[in-house]
Amino acid sequence: MSAVVILTPAIVAGWPTIVAAVAGAASALGLVVKQSVKQDIDIAQQTQATEQTVEVELAKSEVVAQNLAKEKEIVVTKGDIELSVSRDERGRCKVCAKGKGKTKAELKQIAEQFAQKMAQCFVYNRVATELKNKGFQTVNEEVMEDQSIRINVRRWVD
Amino acid sequence: MAQHDVEIVISKTGEVKVHIKGVKGKGCLEYAKWLSKIVGSVREQKLTSEYYEPEVKSKIDLHQQLNDE
Repeated sequence: MSAVVILTPAIVAGWPTIVAAVAGAASALGLVVKQSVKQDIDIAQQTQATEQTVEVELAKSEVVAQNLAKEKEIVVTKGDIELSVSRDERGRCKVCAKGKGKTKAELKQIAEQFAQKMAQCFVYNRVATELKNKGFQTVNEEVMEDQSIRINVRRWVD
Repeated sequence: MAQHDVEIVISKTGEVKVHIKGVKGKGCLEYAKWLSKIVGSVREQKLTSEYYEPEVKSKIDLHQQLNDE
């Protein structure tokens, strides 16, 4: 053995990369991508004023190319639950959950679970791409019982 | 050629545990540095015995002389 390192993720990326992570998280949690245009969401919000809404911010996140991402929003749904991912005023990524018949605590839990899955998908996409670029070959890849992803890679060096 | 193995575990919260194997000396720290740039920041780092092994293997030739007695 050589070294064991534990890394805390930082989600710093452009909007397309964020969207890829959202799509991955949505797929893993059985959600469907609804739409990505903010203006449509504003109209929907006006008509659903009775719903509970909860916002969760992703720690250590930043959506780069801020001007491009300012009006972007991606919405995923599952039944009556709607999650929207967008960039807030400070450039951080946030997840907003809303749905009929759910308490704020339930919505917060759903939003946090999605934010975590999104972070996992973001890190997976990034690590997999960089390992491939570095010339590593994947030996094994599996999802563990605790929902963690284990990747074993190898390369030969002169 | 040396075989470099890396085991990466991405927890459900996105935290990453990296186990670098087969890389001797400071080479494993270069991997750690590279991965921390990709993922975020280092929270914890443990060096194992292999880190302290020399990077370049010294070649030892053993000559056995058989003397007829």
